[in-house]
Amino acid sequence: MCYHPIAMNGVRSLKGKRSEMSSHGNDPRQPSAARPYVAPAISPQDLPIDYAGFIAVIFGVVGVMFRYKLSSWLALIFCAQSVANMRNVENDLKQVMMALMFSMMGLITNYFGPPRPGKQS
Amino acid sequence: MSMENPNLLSMLCILSLFFAFVLSDSHFEGFDADADDDDFEDTSIDPTSLRSPPSQSLTTPTPDPDPPASDLPKSALTTTTTTTFDFWDDDEFEGIPIEHPPPSAADPKSPDNSSDSASPQNPQIPNPNPKTPRSFTVEILCGSFLIMFAINYFTGKRENENIALSWAAQFAAKDSIFEKNFSLLGIGDGGDDTPLLLKEGQTTFKFYASGRRYCQGLLATLELKSRHDLIARIYNMIVPTRDEISFEVYMNDDAMDHVVFALAKKKAAKAMHKDVRDLQRFANVLSPPTSKKWVADDLAVISESKEVAADLITDAVIDQVFGDKAFEKFGKGLISLHFSDQHSGMHKKVLLFKFVLPSAKNMADMTRLVALVPYYIDLIGKYKLSSQARSKTETARQKVAQEAQKELRNAQQEAMQRRKAERKKMMEEAEAKLSAEAIRKKEAKERARQMKKAMPRMKMARGA
Repeated sequence: MCYHPIAMNGVRSLKGKRSEMSSHGNDPRQPSAARPYVAPAISPQDLPIDYAGFIAVIFGVVGVMFRYKLSSWLALIFCAQSVANMRNVENDLKQVMMALMFSMMGLITNYFGPPRPGKQS
Repeated sequence: MSMENPNLLSMLCILSLFFAFVLSDSHFEGFDADADDDDFEDTSIDPTSLRSPPSQSLTTPTPDPDPPASDLPKSALTTTTTTTFDFWDDDEFEGIPIEHPPPSAADPKSPDNSSDSASPQNPQIPNPNPKTPRSFTVEILCGSFLIMFAINYFTGKRENENIALSWAAQFAAKDSIFEKNFSLLGIGDGGDDTPLLLKEGQTTFKFYASGRRYCQGLLATLELKSRHDLIARIYNMIVPTRDEISFEVYMNDDAMDHVVFALAKKKAAKAMHKDVRDLQRFANVLSPPTSKKWVADDLAVISESKEVAADLITDAVIDQVFGDKAFEKFGKGLISLHFSDQHSGMHKKVLLFKFVLPSAKNMADMTRLVALVPYYIDLIGKYKLSSQARSKTETARQKVAQEAQKELRNAQQEAMQRRKAERKKMMEEAEAKLSAEAIRKKEAKERARQMKKAMPRMKMARGA
């Protein structure tokens, strides 16, 4: 740590002249004290909960179970929201993929599937 | 969306239950299920031939139809469908141009119900015409919403990036406040082309600076609105939020005396005093002194002692930002200041500044607020308490430290006891196991003996 007595004086002299405080002659910078940025480690539990993904999964399941296409479409929309809000790809991809699979399955069975073979409910 | 979604979900559940009920009802009556399937599936089979008989039977449960009886379920059915639909449209398809057919068409359930309820009156004319355009409304609506979502994603993303970049250009570029105060800017290790901002998600941007006297580093976090997310955008129309920026300055351990201080708008200050731990423990909300110039009326000061507050709110600060006149003009963006040497977390001595970000064009509006950051670093860095105040704060900190130690000791003891109990349990279990094993061994031995007894005979038998 290097210490500048001049710098201290500079600080004292700027009392009352705030507008100049960032441009006074004595440099407050200390390159020797610079530390590179260290990203804080965040455990996966502390991440915000992905509500959109959760809702998407629910809608997807409902869409598949009841053959209800609006639900599948809504699941797709919430999937899009979940993807848009994704922070780190590895953690969230699982849930999104699951929701996406469900919604796609619902849509495919709805539009291309056999016309209702039996009663599920 | 959190407000609407439960609503939507419950509607959906009710609808699906209703759907199931209708299905099971038709099943129960013993009619062919294919007939009412046609109402749901978009098959090209002409529904006129199949539909009328089962649908009639659906609404008239008794064998001989009675006009008032059939009228009753009809009205009930129609009302439910209309209410459910109202919810549907309001929640999900806000802001979509009115290109869809009249309301009753959007719900895939309604054709079924309406045809059911209508058929008893005129069973000969089951109009198939509204069915073909009706069946695609869900797809059109959802598809267009998805497209709008995608477009909004890219435009909103760019909007957010513009705001962050204009902030960086204003305050972290060459010859700007941070460039003059910190020797290291950005996340890299000091090269010229290192990026200034770190992007986390679509709404969070971080700016790091280091290499200044009195402090180890500064981390500015820009929390922007989720403009990239159409659903969140619609939600924010109901519950507005603001773009915020918070500066965390990590002070050197030897550069900060005992200071617990916060400044915020009155309501927020009360909330802070309740919620933030170190404020709650060490500080009080101060009433404004009568003799001295003080901050604007909207603001409240929370501090450990009057001395600290008076020393930290200098005349310069009052003149420039927090005084009555200046606050109107320059201080509007203030959310809170919070300086503390007892911060919880990795760094103990932290200065926290929270401001509202202005729009990308008016970034210069917050210049004076940002200028507070280096000003307070210097002010607090060289600030020394008087000996009187110091002894007071020292005792307060010792007290808290003792409490903390006590808590720690208690926790340790609890943990010890728990561990002891666990060990005991383990021992008991092991003993039980052992005894069980001993019994088993005994049994095995016994069996072996008996076997031995039996063996010779076997051998003899075999030999013979």
